[in-house]
Amino acid sequence: MARFYFHLFNGLGSARDEEGREAPSLEAARSCAVEDIRSIISGDARAGVVDLAGWVEIADERGRHLATVRFEDAVELKLPKGGA
Amino acid sequence: MIERHLMKLRARDEISPEEEAAIRASVSGTRRVPADQLVARAYERLDACTFLLSGFACRAKDLEDGRRQITELHTPGDYVDLHSFTLKYLEHNVLALSDCELAVVPHAALRKITEQLPHLTRVYWFATCLDAAIHREWELSLGRRSAVERMAHLFCELQVRMGLVDLVDREGEAVAYQLSLTQAELAECLGLTSVHVNRTLMQLREERLLEFRSGRVTIHDLPGLRAMAGFDPAYLYLDREPR
Repeated sequence: MARFYFHLFNGLGSARDEEGREAPSLEAARSCAVEDIRSIISGDARAGVVDLAGWVEIADERGRHLATVRFEDAVELKLPKGGA
Repeated sequence: MIERHLMKLRARDEISPEEEAAIRASVSGTRRVPADQLVARAYERLDACTFLLSGFACRAKDLEDGRRQITELHTPGDYVDLHSFTLKYLEHNVLALSDCELAVVPHAALRKITEQLPHLTRVYWFATCLDAAIHREWELSLGRRSAVERMAHLFCELQVRMGLVDLVDREGEAVAYQLSLTQAELAECLGLTSVHVNRTLMQLREERLLEFRSGRVTIHDLPGLRAMAGFDPAYLYLDREPR
């Protein structure tokens, strides 16, 4: 198990993760980030505004950047034909 | 040792010297449970109840794949599993969130209380009814409140419950209390995820309502936080009256 840190960047600003979470691999950490983003998007959808411009940066214990997961990649959007 | 338990009971009713002596006599010993360990395992037969002397514990239910919902937080003075006296086993886990010290009360000692002290029996009945009221309020939060309202509401609830057992400090205009929870555990209380909790905390911080850092909650604007949460402490039944 390794400790990963998930820093959030979006329209509101950034929220640094000072606690981190353990995950068996970077792939598992990436799945955590996707879950995190989906949770935020679902809350935003209930409030009426979905902002897909944000991203989560995954870092290791030394603060090294390992991966970036973009909000728009965490969900599949099905838009009406001819839509944006 | 059991002072916080008595403070919690005496906030809602009078406890006579005879009843206090019976509570003290009901405790057969103490138990230390380190953080992240189980106090009681779901579906395991129990022959004693425990109340918290120090530390934080919770009731939690898990899905097979590890997803967890915390259904109530317990603060010092709370019985964490008084309902096991009649249920005999619990359908949920009781988990220590920090290092906990607990008083152990055998079911046999509680039976004796129910047979000899009807008023104290009603006070303990009230305690399980109060837990049910807290569960209902959490259900309302999980089902209907937004992430930020839900989080604000939980911090308001804990401010009242910690205040009853003298664990809230005044810091000028602000009030503060210890809360040894990680963001991941907070997420499990609120039906959110860690990053969502972090973002919601940021929102509360930016509105200058509250800060949660290094296991300490500082509420800068209690009326503002209560307004944001739609918090009404009536569900915590704070009147002191005969039960």
